[in-house]
Formats: sequence, C-alpha cells, structure tokens
Amino acid sequence: MKTETIHEITPKIQDSSFFTEVRKIAERTNFMDCMQCGVCSGSCPARFAMDFSPMQIIKMIQLGLKNIVLSSSTIWICAQCQTCLTRCPREVNIPLLMSSLKNIAIRENIPCKIELKPKFHKTFSEIIKKYGRMHEPELKIKLIKKTSPQDVFHNATLALRLLRKGKIKLLPPKTDQIPDILVLFETASKEEQK
Amino acid sequence: MKFAYYPGCAVHSSAPEYGLSCKAISSILGIELIEIPKWNCCSSIDAVYANQPLTSIGLAARNLSLAENTKMDIIVLCGACLLTLSRANKMLHEDSELKEKVNMLLTNAGLNYNGSIKVRHYLDVLTNDVGFSKVSEHVKVPLKGLKVAPYYGCLLTRPPGVTNFDDPEHPKSMDKLIEALGGQSIKYEEKCCGASLVLTDELVMMEMTKRSLLSAKNAGADCIIAACPLCQFNLDAKQSDIQSHYDIKIDLPVLYFTQLIGIAFGLSPKELGLDKNCVSPKRLLKQFQNA
Amino acid sequence: MSKEVRIGVYICHCGGNISDTVDIAKVKEAVKNFKAVKIAETYEYMCSNPGQQMIEDDITKHKLNRVVVASCSPRMHLDTFRRVLRRADLNPYFLEMTNIREQCSWVHDSKEKATEKAISLIRGAVERAYYLEPLIPSTMPVKKDVLVIGGGIAGINASIELADKGYKVYLVERSPSIGGHMAQLSKTFPTFDCSACILTPKMVYTSQHPNIKIIDMAEPIAVKGSPGNYKVSIKVRPRFVDKGKCISCGVCADKCPVKKPSKYEEGLKEEKAIYLPFQQAIPNAYVIDKEHCLYFTKGVCKICQRFCKGNAINFDQKEEIIELHVGAIIACTGYDQIDPSPFGQYSFALHPDIITNLQFERLMLQGLHRPSNGKPPQKVAFILCVGSRCSENSTKGVEYCCKIGCMNAIKHSLLLQKAFPEAEPWIFYTDIRAHGKGYEEFYAKARDHNVRFIRGRAAEVVPNGDGLLVKAEDTLLGMQIEEPFDLVVLSPAIIPSAGTQELAQMLGVDLGHDAFFLERHHKLRPVDSKREGIYLTGCALGPKDVRETTSESMACASKVATFVGQGEISVSPEIAYVNIDKCNKCGNCIKACPVSAIESIPQGVEINSISCVGCGVCVPSCPEKAIDLRHCNDAQLTAQIHGICEDSGTSPRIIAFLENKAAYGSMDLAGQSRLSYPDNIRIIGVPSTGRVSSRHLLHAFASGADGIIFIEGDDSAFKDNQLREHVIQLKKELGAYGIESLRLVSTTTTLPQCDKVIDLFTTFNERISKIGRLLEEKRAKIRKALEND
Repeated sequence: MKTETIHEITPKIQDSSFFTEVRKIAERTNFMDCMQCGVCSGSCPARFAMDFSPMQIIKMIQLGLKNIVLSSSTIWICAQCQTCLTRCPREVNIPLLMSSLKNIAIRENIPCKIELKPKFHKTFSEIIKKYGRMHEPELKIKLIKKTSPQDVFHNATLALRLLRKGKIKLLPPKTDQIPDILVLFETASKEEQK
Repeated sequence: MKFAYYPGCAVHSSAPEYGLSCKAISSILGIELIEIPKWNCCSSIDAVYANQPLTSIGLAARNLSLAENTKMDIIVLCGACLLTLSRANKMLHEDSELKEKVNMLLTNAGLNYNGSIKVRHYLDVLTNDVGFSKVSEHVKVPLKGLKVAPYYGCLLTRPPGVTNFDDPEHPKSMDKLIEALGGQSIKYEEKCCGASLVLTDELVMMEMTKRSLLSAKNAGADCIIAACPLCQFNLDAKQSDIQSHYDIKIDLPVLYFTQLIGIAFGLSPKELGLDKNCVSPKRLLKQFQNA
Repeated sequence: MSKEVRIGVYICHCGGNISDTVDIAKVKEAVKNFKAVKIAETYEYMCSNPGQQMIEDDITKHKLNRVVVASCSPRMHLDTFRRVLRRADLNPYFLEMTNIREQCSWVHDSKEKATEKAISLIRGAVERAYYLEPLIPSTMPVKKDVLVIGGGIAGINASIELADKGYKVYLVERSPSIGGHMAQLSKTFPTFDCSACILTPKMVYTSQHPNIKIIDMAEPIAVKGSPGNYKVSIKVRPRFVDKGKCISCGVCADKCPVKKPSKYEEGLKEEKAIYLPFQQAIPNAYVIDKEHCLYFTKGVCKICQRFCKGNAINFDQKEEIIELHVGAIIACTGYDQIDPSPFGQYSFALHPDIITNLQFERLMLQGLHRPSNGKPPQKVAFILCVGSRCSENSTKGVEYCCKIGCMNAIKHSLLLQKAFPEAEPWIFYTDIRAHGKGYEEFYAKARDHNVRFIRGRAAEVVPNGDGLLVKAEDTLLGMQIEEPFDLVVLSPAIIPSAGTQELAQMLGVDLGHDAFFLERHHKLRPVDSKREGIYLTGCALGPKDVRETTSESMACASKVATFVGQGEISVSPEIAYVNIDKCNKCGNCIKACPVSAIESIPQGVEINSISCVGCGVCVPSCPEKAIDLRHCNDAQLTAQIHGICEDSGTSPRIIAFLENKAAYGSMDLAGQSRLSYPDNIRIIGVPSTGRVSSRHLLHAFASGADGIIFIEGDDSAFKDNQLREHVIQLKKELGAYGIESLRLVSTTTTLPQCDKVIDLFTTFNERISKIGRLLEEKRAKIRKALEND
C-alpha cells in the first residue's frame, strides 16, 4: 500500500465543482458509467508504478477529491496503451480521461510527483509550435537532469551510440510550414480560452 | 495501390531504417507511397493534448485535410500516428460541433477537412490489400527455421472500433506475415513497452519493456519484429540499459517487420538499414544473407 | 333511431356526500329541461333498494329507453345500475353514469362551482345517452387444449399442472429429448439437490401422463387463428429411428464409426453419429445426426441398421408437418449461454482448461478433472460476469446481470472442496448477488469454507506453462494480482435461446430491450404476453434459477387454465368494429393496433373480437372512418363533448380525457382522499386517449373548451411513446386552425399517482389562464369547418 491512502472524506478536501468540471471537459469519455469493477486496473501494465489504480481515480472524481486525483502519479504514468478501454464493460474511455485530467492539472499548476512529466508536455508543444515537427534532441536535452552527472553521462553514452548509427538528427527539421502551424496554435489557444 | 504517405516524426530522425526498408519493399509489392507535402507532427496521442486539447486535434486534422486534397487514404508506419490520426478522424465524424471548430482552425491555412479519407497502418495494407500470398510470391530467401516473436504494440489494434484491422486480444496479422516469409512465429506474452515513459520515467519503462523481452527470449525467439518506432526504440536501443540495470542477458535483435520482409525478399542489408539496429542482427543475417 | 328517445335522469344525494356541496334541487331544475329528458328525480341513496326500485318502476311507467344516473364513480356501481335496467327489460348499455362525487363534490370547495360543474357533466351524459345503442356481450367457444413450446423445466412444470387439471397438452420440444439445461446440471443451489433426481421423475410423469403428448424433434413454423382458437403448424424433423421399436440397447452406437462432439456434454466428450441424448432422455430412443452420419454425408455405411436387433432404424423417415388446434400457447423456450470466445482476454477455446460453468457441471458428473491431463484440479479460478453487465450499446456483451453466476460459482467452489478437500477455489467477482431463499446463508457457508473471494472483474487469463495465470485487481486491497491456476471456469452471460426472435414474430408478441420475450406488465401481468391467449414463462422471459422458474411456470399454468377453463370466453361488446364497405385496405389500423387484434383479409380487415381490448386506437387511424368503437362511438363521444363544453361561462374550460382504468381510477382516488383541484376541469373517461382524434378536439374547442389534457394509464395497451407520437400529430392538426400547441398536454400515470395528476391539472390551468381563452374568431372558423361533420 502506498502512502497518503488514508483520508477522511470531509468537505475540507471535497470539491463538488470538480465532478462538474471533469464531466464537462471529459464528457465523451462517459466515466459516469463506471461501475467500479476493476478490470481496467487489473489490465493496466503500468499499474505497478501508480499510487492509485485507474478505477480509484474515477471513484475519487465522483467524490470530488480534486487534489488527490490531480496530484496522483496515475494520470502521469498512464502509457496510453488503451487496454483498459478495450476491456471496460461500460466502454469508459479511461486513456482520454487521464489526458483530460492532465490538462486540468497543468492549467491549475498542480505540483506533479514526477516533475519531468508536465515539462515533457510543455516542451513537446513548444517544439511543435516552432518547427511543426518533432526535434528529438531538443526534447531530450530539456528533460535531462543537468544537475545529476549520472543522468548526463548515461544519456550521453546512448546519444553517442545513436549518433554513430545516424539515428539522431542534430539539425532541426527544415520545413516551410511554420507560419501555418503558429497560426493554428494561436487560434486554437484563443478558442480554448473561451 | 497509391497512398498518401505519412512517415511521422520518428522515421525522419530516430527510425531511418524503418523508412528505408519500407520504401524498399513497397516498390517490389507495388505499393506507391506519395509523401504528403508539408505534413506536420500528428501531436502524438496526448503529448500536446494534455496542454492544449483543441490544438492537438487541429494538428492531426491538418494532416487529414492535406491527405484529403490528394484524394488518397493515409498510410502510416507508427502506432502513435495511427491512433492519433484515426482517433481525430473518428471524433470529427461523430461530433459536428468539434468538426466545425477544427475546420475553423484550418481555414487560416486554406484547408478544410470533410471526413472522406481513412487512416491505415502499413501492416493493415499488407494484410488486407496486398495479401500474404502475394508477399510469399516475392520471397527469395525463405526464413526457414527462424523463430520470430511478433511485437504488435498497443496501438495497432487497440482500442477496438478505431483501426479495426486485427483482433485486439489475439492479433494474427504479424504471425501470418512471419509464416508467409517462411519463418516460425513464436507465442509469448507481449506487454506495453511504456512508450513515451522512456523520456520521463525510464525505470518504469524499463520494467515494462523487460517483461516482453524476457518472455520472448524464454519462448525461444531468435529475434523480435516491431511495427512502431517507439516500441522498436524501447526494445532495441534501450536493450543494453535494461540488461545492465537488471543484470540479465537478452541479446535479441529487434527488427522492423519491413526489414524482415526485405531480408526474405533478398534485399541487401544496406537497403534495409540493418546497420542501424542497435542490437546487432549480424548473427541472424549470416543465416540468410551471403554478405 | 326510429323510436323516440326518452331519458330519465336520477341524481343521488349520497347521504350528504354530494348534496352537501352540490345543490341537488338546482341541478334537478336545470336537468329536467335538457333534450329528450322526460323525468328527473333525486334520492338520498340511489344505489339502495328503494332508489333502484324507483328507477325500475320509472322505466316501465314513463316508457324510458335511456337512463342517466348522476352519483358516485361508475367504478363503484356501474354493474348495480346495469342490473336495474336488465330487470326492467331494458338493454343495460342504455345506462350512462355521471361522476358527481369523486370527481366533483369531493374535490371542489365552491358550492356554486360544483353545482355548475355537476350540471355540465350531466348535460354531457344526457347528450351522450341520446346516441347509446343496445349491445349484447357474445361468447366464443374456446378450445381447451394447450400448446407448450419448450420442454425444459418450465415447459414440463406447466404441462404437468395443466394436465393434472384435466387439460390436454401438446409439449413441443426442438431437441430429441425433453429436460432442457436442467438435465445437464449436477447439483442445484443452495440445497445441493441432485438435479437429475428432482427432474427425471417429472420427465417420466410427463411422458406417462395421458393428457400430455410430447412432440420431440419439433418446432412451430406458423401460428394462425385467434385467442381460444389458435392453429399452429409444427414441423417434426426425422429421427431416423423408430421410437416405438428402439429399446435403447446401444449396439448401434457401439458400431457406429463416426465420432462427434456431444452437445449434452458441452463438447467435453464425444458421442457417435447415432446417439442417445443422455441416459434419462425422454423419449428414450436413439437419434441419427444427419450432419455427421456417413450415410447422409457420403451415402455409405448403414452399419447401425445391420446390427439393430429391433429393426428400429429407418433412413427413409421424412420430415412431417402436423397441425395443432389449441386454445392457448405457452412459450417457454429457455436460454443459451453467450460464447466467451469474442472476449479474447479470457482466451476461451485457446486452452482446454478454460471452460464455462455449464461445462464444469458436466465435469462434475464425469468425475472432476482437468480436461488437459485428466488430473484433479487443485486450484480453480471462477471468473464471473463474462459478457454481462456491459454498456447499452456494447457489440459483444449484454446489459443485464445473468442472475445465476454468483450462486453457481459458490456452489461449484463448495462442491470442488467436497471432492478435493485441499483444493482452492477462487472467485473473481464484481458483486455477489445472493438474492433468493437460502442464498445469503449459502454465501456465508462459502466464506466459512475459506473460498477465496477476489473483488475485481478478472482482467485476463493467459496460458502459463502447464497451467493458467489469472490477472486482476483486488479492488478491496488496491493491488494488482497474478495467480496461477490449473483450471479456469468462466461464467458467460445468459441470452435467449436461438430462434427466440423468429418465434416472437410468429406468435405476434414483443421482445424486450434485452431480447428476451416481453411480458404484458412487469408487476401486474408477468406471465402474459401482449397477445391474448399467449403466455410466457421461464428463462425465455429472462435469466432465473430453477426455483423461480418452477413458481413462475405454475403461475403461468394457472392463468392458462383460467383462460381456457370455461370452455368459452365472454367477449365484451365494447370493442371496435369495421364497416367493410368503407375499408380501403390501407392497413393503418393493423399497424396502429397495440394488441395485434386486426388481421388483413381479402375483403379488407377483420377485428378479432377476443383479442380486441376496446381501446379504440384504431379508430382515428382510419382515413375512411370505416372503424368505430362500440359504446364510445364517434357520435356518443362528440355529443358528450358538446354537452360538457356548452355554457362554459367566462372562466377557461379544460377537458381532461382520462383512460378509463388507471387514469380515471387515480382521479377517483383523489376524490376519496378529498384532494382539491380547479373546478373548471371536466373529466371525460375514454377507453384510451389514443381513441380521441383531432376531430373530437376541434369539436371541444368549437363548443367552448380552451385546453385539453390527455392522461393514459401506465399499463394501458397504448404505450408512452405511442401517446407522445399521437399528441405530436394532434398538435400539428390543431395548429392548422391556429390552436396553440400549449393548449394540449399529456402524461401517463399509475393509479396511486393522483398527486402527479393534480399537479398537472393545476399547472395546466395556470397556463391556460395565462394564455387566455381561445379567440372567438378561431372558434367560429372551427365551427364552420365542422359544419360538414
């Protein structure tokens, strides 16, 4: 059993608007149909690394336990393998629900147990906005713990190997659709503010 | 058969051998791949969605509309691209309000998506359009005695109702492909490799990938074949890290299924980029190549 | 109407119950001047002997040929006053009753308004009475024989009950033997009764009963006729073995060279192409499987015939069609189990040690062992809910609970431990449902015996070396677990048996959303179908255990006996009839009829007088006005509407059409409870609101109405969705005359929900008051349009 699993469900930690908020943003996931059978959690290949099972996350949304849900490792560890959705008898779109919860957590700056995760999403978006396509070296470099010599060394060794095999393109993608993508990002972000 | 070819970001950087081998076998099989001009990153499942959901769908839709202009279905090589583009396609079909919003985003680029094209994985086209008997016809070097563990990956067949080309629990297409090439497909327990966790939760990803590698090894596989660059990276490039972390020996070459086809077609290692796979397939190649 | 209409009106004081609120004297004064009224009298208690005598004498004295009684609800004394008319030699259908107690004096406070309303209601009754016609209930002979489709425990029980009561029963069974799935079970829960021991005596009794004829290898192919007189064509497939000559010695099977999977053994064992379904099969005779027999597939062999001592084998037997004439039909065709193969995560059919619970039953009777190597199972996983409790639009699974999975798994666990005391049964469940008698105690016993319960729907089953691995989340512990087992037993969803849809169509009955047969009413008529004379029972209606099946099939037999027992059924004359000359064969009425009582015939249509429930929904559907409803025909209804709406004064007049049973009853209940509602609402009871057409509503508006309410009973044959469509159509038609759609409202209700109806009355009244009375110009326009009516 992990820590922080014993809680009193009091109005202090309940946020009744959380359920409504998630329902609005994740309407097409139909998570309200969940009957808590646990097949998702039984199937999840990343379950071992999660503090709460996917089933528990859904239950907590229904009870409005906002902080616990958004600061769980579950929503960040989800590898989007889609096994849970495949087996859920009520066809709850759990992977999409996890993505939507990440969205709320990022928007509200909820501190994440795994610090690299929000950074990953932020950096990924920035790079796409810049080039329209992924530039892996830039992404990887931003995610290396520059303060840890082991981390740097470990990654450098792999990088060298890959470089020798021509699997790293040091130069960013040369594309001429940048104005296009920038506009898309800006228009979409305006639309999302509404 | 002609397709709007969507290589995806990985093929242009960390998975060049996938693109190479794919082109090589496509010309033999009569699959014409016409790269979509000015394609953009699909947005990789929820890499962008977590931050900006609408932008993510817009990015995917941009590729859909670019392909629609060519009037051809999209063919992809990567599982993440397959899910991201297919799912966006499905969402736009089912939610007219969303479709309107997204098309509004695209009009600035002079684009519009009507919903008339499909997104398909190369393996799907091979299975359903080309057919394995045609594949067998071109086999010059039957892979007799080669024990191959097929690594389908999560997103080729899941969730059901999105790609619809093979069974989500017991897929058979790759197994049939291996047999069509003269090899022997190995039954083992495949699990999710952890995908993008390789960048953010390396330990978790290694635990996840290790399970599949060990299972394939213990089942007697000589090699693994994969159909997605991220899966292949975790299984191949990270194999040495996994070996040292767990103090185990695996030593399983991980090829792209297109590379395996190329070997069976008698193509040269250079054409197939076989020097780029991290775990060396040299031993394997000695059996089937004269080089 | 050649004779002069002479109406007598009788107003009851009801010992103050009416007269305390309604000014009876004033009413009498007003009423005696109404059209065709020859005499108007009042009395303290009209239903008392002197009251009744007064009416009887008046009929003779004043040569009355219509009687209007204004008193309590007709649901109280309709029959009482009809008998009065009969005694006076007047057809009882010349009686019209007006409810001025439950729906007037008991619910309104203002004496002035209540009196005004009473006068209005009586005027309506008098106008209607003018058009009343004499009616005579008819009787039809009913064939006392019964057809039971399905020879499982439900069919067997029903047949025995009916046969013991003296009825002749045809028990038609599709397979070569009766017994159904119960014949495959080992022990039953929670008592551990041996299934065969409690079933076979009944099977034998059935086969020996002089009143039961078992027709095996048979199924119905066509159903014609009407309730009490059904003509059913039965197709009997050839057995290729003469039942009379076969002595079940088994030599044929010994010699037969062809093996095939045994259906009775759920594929776990093989049998020959010529086989006995099971040891206790009834009829106890062998049968040849045409699809596997070498003679039928390749034209060779016939070795069984050579060795048959009784000369019972006949390869030339042909299919037969027999015609049965019966009074009632019971459909009890049972269930099947869903195939678990599409649920790939359980790997069914990929490993011999992954089986269904029904296969486990067979294993228990074969000597419990692992199918893969014959060894005793040490650790067994029972996985519940395979294919059950899925989403509404699931393509693979079903929405409902199978009801028996939990109890079966508990039973299997305990029996496993009985056979192998060291064995470990594990049950992977989502909810343990132990609803029946003795079930919770049975569940407690399992816990006491250390059966491992894991609360979590099993995620997957994978082969693991010699055995199997089951993965699940123990949701109570919050832990993912992986346990090795040497046998895995799946609990597949229960589905209707193959052919249910076709049979339902053949019988003209409905299927529910769950694809099982649909009963007439969930609580009130659980074994009736929507069609008179056709009954449903057993798992054909939905999953259930043996005890519930037994009770239900006995109840079903009882209802059937009531139906056919009297040898004749009285047919209410208050039914629809068709003027065949006007019929244009459009078929609208056939589609509209909610009880499938109308059939197409060469000259037009025929309305079955027994099936017809007199709802009148067909009447507005006819474009040629060829159909009408007796005792609520167009003339009567229109006249009543006119009578009630006249003299509407200045306040808005609202007419509420209430379906005669539950809806009307609920307003009587409101009166009994002395609840209040606006007095400008006048109620007209109708067989169904579906009977009321736009024409009637236009007459109402033309005569002074400003708002219309429709209330249908929840259990009426005219269903909620049909009512909604009807109202939508009416609003459209009324809209053409400028009548705002807000002026019509509808709802359904159950009898006890009078509060709901009163709420509707009150809010609707407010609404009509707000939008005001219908404009006089519009009324004039409608009156003009109706001039040709």
